[in-house]
Amino acid sequence: MANDWQPKLGDKVVRHPRVRLHHLRRVLGIPGLFSTAYGDVGSSIYYALGLVALVALGATPVVLGIAGILFVFTALTYAEGTAMFPEAGGSASFARHGFNDLMGFIAGWSLMFGYIVTISISAYTIPSYLGYFWEPLKSSPVVHTGAAMGIVFLLMVINTIGVRESSRLNFSLAALDIATQLLIIVLALLILFNPVVFWQRITGYWPSTTNLIFGVAIAAIAFTGLETVSQMAEETKRPQVRAPKALVLMTIVVLVIFAGISVSAFSAMTPAELGSSWATDPVAGIAHNLSAAIVPDELAKGFSEPAHQIVVAYVLGGVRSALPVLVALLAATILFIATNAGLLGISRLAFSLGRFQLIPAELSRVHPRSKTPYISIIVFTLIALVLQIPGFFGPDVFTNLGGLYAFGSMLSFALAHLSVLALRIKKPDVPRPFKLGWNIRIGSWDLPITAILGLLGTTAIWVVVLIIQPYSRWVGLAWMAFGFGMFFLFRWLRRVSPGQTDGSPTGVTGDKE
Amino acid sequence: MRLERILVAVNGKDADVEAVKLACDLAKKSKAKVYVVYVIEVKRSLPLDAVIESEIAKAEKVLTRAEEVAADKDYEVETDLVQAREVGPAIVDEAMEREVSLILMGVTYKKSFGVFNLGRVIPYVLEGAPCRVLLCREPMS
Repeated sequence: MANDWQPKLGDKVVRHPRVRLHHLRRVLGIPGLFSTAYGDVGSSIYYALGLVALVALGATPVVLGIAGILFVFTALTYAEGTAMFPEAGGSASFARHGFNDLMGFIAGWSLMFGYIVTISISAYTIPSYLGYFWEPLKSSPVVHTGAAMGIVFLLMVINTIGVRESSRLNFSLAALDIATQLLIIVLALLILFNPVVFWQRITGYWPSTTNLIFGVAIAAIAFTGLETVSQMAEETKRPQVRAPKALVLMTIVVLVIFAGISVSAFSAMTPAELGSSWATDPVAGIAHNLSAAIVPDELAKGFSEPAHQIVVAYVLGGVRSALPVLVALLAATILFIATNAGLLGISRLAFSLGRFQLIPAELSRVHPRSKTPYISIIVFTLIALVLQIPGFFGPDVFTNLGGLYAFGSMLSFALAHLSVLALRIKKPDVPRPFKLGWNIRIGSWDLPITAILGLLGTTAIWVVVLIIQPYSRWVGLAWMAFGFGMFFLFRWLRRVSPGQTDGSPTGVTGDKE
Repeated sequence: MRLERILVAVNGKDADVEAVKLACDLAKKSKAKVYVVYVIEVKRSLPLDAVIESEIAKAEKVLTRAEEVAADKDYEVETDLVQAREVGPAIVDEAMEREVSLILMGVTYKKSFGVFNLGRVIPYVLEGAPCRVLLCREPMS
């Protein structure tokens, strides 16, 4: 960007702040965006399956299927919204553009809650997988919860100081993760799958209606990470085109992997086992049972050539020994990165909300030396730690965290759908690089069916969580009540109407030295 | 070697001065355009477009100094400020976008654990830049 201004004789030279000349180096392409987001979504497979099975028992595949349909609708809504507004904020940004600051705040605040719960639950699951190496990490509530809290605390310190994160590492881990999960699915289908047993496990362990409904709600946790694509859109090259493509790619991969892993789990063990012994480390359970079922010499007999039999027996022997270790290490690493991603996501979101005066900008103040938003990192991590404390007293914390996630994310997703619909009505002429098809025409408005169904589905789930889950109801409502109090007080002090929106950021929210 | 556009990546170290001077000397012969770029590295816990006052103030100071050095050499440079997640890729990307024929960087003589260390940005630029890269290392003393 050239500055054409030239001084003339007698001019008093006033230096124009170069801040106008900032431009952002957007480096992410579709692979980078996909791998970063998959790090989030793919990580949920390591706990969502057990969590859902704990509630929905034999109906787990059905419940995940229903949640998967809602996930597709929500991903499509995010694709349209993100392509329109490629900025950090996700549903909060859509709601601010579609309605006003108050709606933007509600979406953002509930989204923050979802992020906090993701931090808690991802970290809570890590010790279960590491229990392969030291049993008390899985079996003792005190050691388990203490380790999980230690992980969150460690990440708080690391992020407050500020460390470099490699996007290459994200990409490599996403690739290794998908490859391992595909290996598990293929081996389970070849060695363990039996359609009759599979069907018996579904029908024989069918849950109560209440559990079935709550299972659908809780299955939403399987699809965390949609927001990540939206958050990362601002650092993506040609975000209007690439963000929707990354979302569609991620949706396809996630649905295939989840379907495959569900079938593998039900082939490897009963829903009761999945929801009890392996609830917090379901993929380790699959690997354990798969490993036990692999008898290299027996399986190698299927080959006629002796040389082939030797090679196959050797390879299968290696897979049998390596699989449980690989799953334990990979799951712990991916979940650690996902916990960190949650922490980074919430601090970015807090900064974005602070910039539009939706929360006090002081929360996102940047440390003069480390250049990190230390206040938001510390505050939100402490809340995540508090949510883990019940883990010391019993295993209910796992289900309760799932319910809390459903509370925050469903409210946020419902508002994303509502905002995209509102934008179709209020701002029909704003360019939409990715426009949803299958529209219903009402008057002069084209309303996408997927967004309407998504709105109905997510709202229904949110209401169900409110009705049948007292813990999620009271903790979630307390979070929202605290947020409303802070929002109205903050806007009153700033003399800004809660419903007002001018669409422009307040400018500097950086550090003060 | 005909130079049409030169990119000088600065970071506020003393070595920047010699790098800018050298860029002006090289550019004079072919009347090449000189771009001086400072990259603000934004942590992943912040949005990429976060405005960090102290970093901008520092960048302004560094770029102003580069303009003064160029003015002393009787040459005009164009300065720019970029925000990115990582400095190395940002410099390479900037060089590609501006189609420069040379990237010039000042190197501070630095040892880590007794071994001469180029840091992480310079090796990345040396590996990834599509054009020539010239390093101007400060004297040891």
